[in-house]
Amino acid sequence: MEDHEILTKFQDPASRNLAFNQLVRKYQSKVYWHVRKMVVDHDDADDLTQDVFIKVWKYLENFRQDAALFTWIYRIATNECLNFLSSKRRKFLLPLTDVGAELAAKIEADPAIAGDEIELKLQQAILRLPDKQRLVFNLRYYDEMPYEQMAEVTGTSVGALKASYHHAVKKVEDYVTRNTAD
Amino acid sequence: MKPAFKLDAHPRRPRPLLSEPPADYFDKLPTRIMARLPQAEAREAAAAWGWLSFLSPALRTGLASVAVLGGFAASFYMSGTAPLVPATAATASLDAVPSTELVGYLLTSGARVENSDLAVLTAANPNIAKGFIHASEAELTDALDAQPSDDSTYL
Repeated sequence: MEDHEILTKFQDPASRNLAFNQLVRKYQSKVYWHVRKMVVDHDDADDLTQDVFIKVWKYLENFRQDAALFTWIYRIATNECLNFLSSKRRKFLLPLTDVGAELAAKIEADPAIAGDEIELKLQQAILRLPDKQRLVFNLRYYDEMPYEQMAEVTGTSVGALKASYHHAVKKVEDYVTRNTAD
Repeated sequence: MKPAFKLDAHPRRPRPLLSEPPADYFDKLPTRIMARLPQAEAREAAAAWGWLSFLSPALRTGLASVAVLGGFAASFYMSGTAPLVPATAATASLDAVPSTELVGYLLTSGARVENSDLAVLTAANPNIAKGFIHASEAELTDALDAQPSDDSTYL
């Protein structure tokens, strides 16, 4: 079902639930993996993905369609992730690096990555980036999202995003170079 | 010398190597989300207040302040007029009891009656003590003057 069709059906109370169910089925995987890359842990990603769609349901009626539907959903998901990480830091009084280290430890314990040293170091390097820079890195490197769309998701200018991604790549390359065996 | 790692030279994956979610996770997720959606009634109630979202934050704050102050003003206005009626009714019912019965009750019930009570009573109603206090006004005034200052403040 196309986005405009979902939105039209959502406006009709009789077909609202059906339309929303279609919307969830269409975007659940993308939202889940966008969140999972940020929080690493499956249970956290599961909670946040549900919260994202609850918010989508709550505000979809007021969605003005000045951006693509998925860009708007991505923006909600992004804010949920950043709020989650920042509240976690406040709750446990953790400095920035400790949350990065905690996420890196979760990556290290993940059986999917076992034995791939370069990939492990790459993930550790990414998780050491500040949250917002990591978000920019994920959107560009993994999702290959155009900068213009990234600007809509993050509310940041294209120039600032390019600079942030460039610095993120440098940091990641330096970390992996320093921390891998010859 | 160790070769520098270059991200462009590294095979690009669509996402990091993380373990997959449970096999039927995406089949069940829509049902779990739909079960958590707010009920229709709550949605209608929220819609009734939805117009507030179109106001600016400053206007919303101002509106809330007016509502709170209005609430105080209304409760103050409504609480100021009512309570005189029961007090009058109580006084009226006491007035219906003969004075001799009241005095008899006070003298026999063990209630402690101070001089100051008698003085206050007599000052308010000079005839009430005629049956048992045979004193002139001058004598009463002397008795009151002799009371400690705390008691005389009742007058």
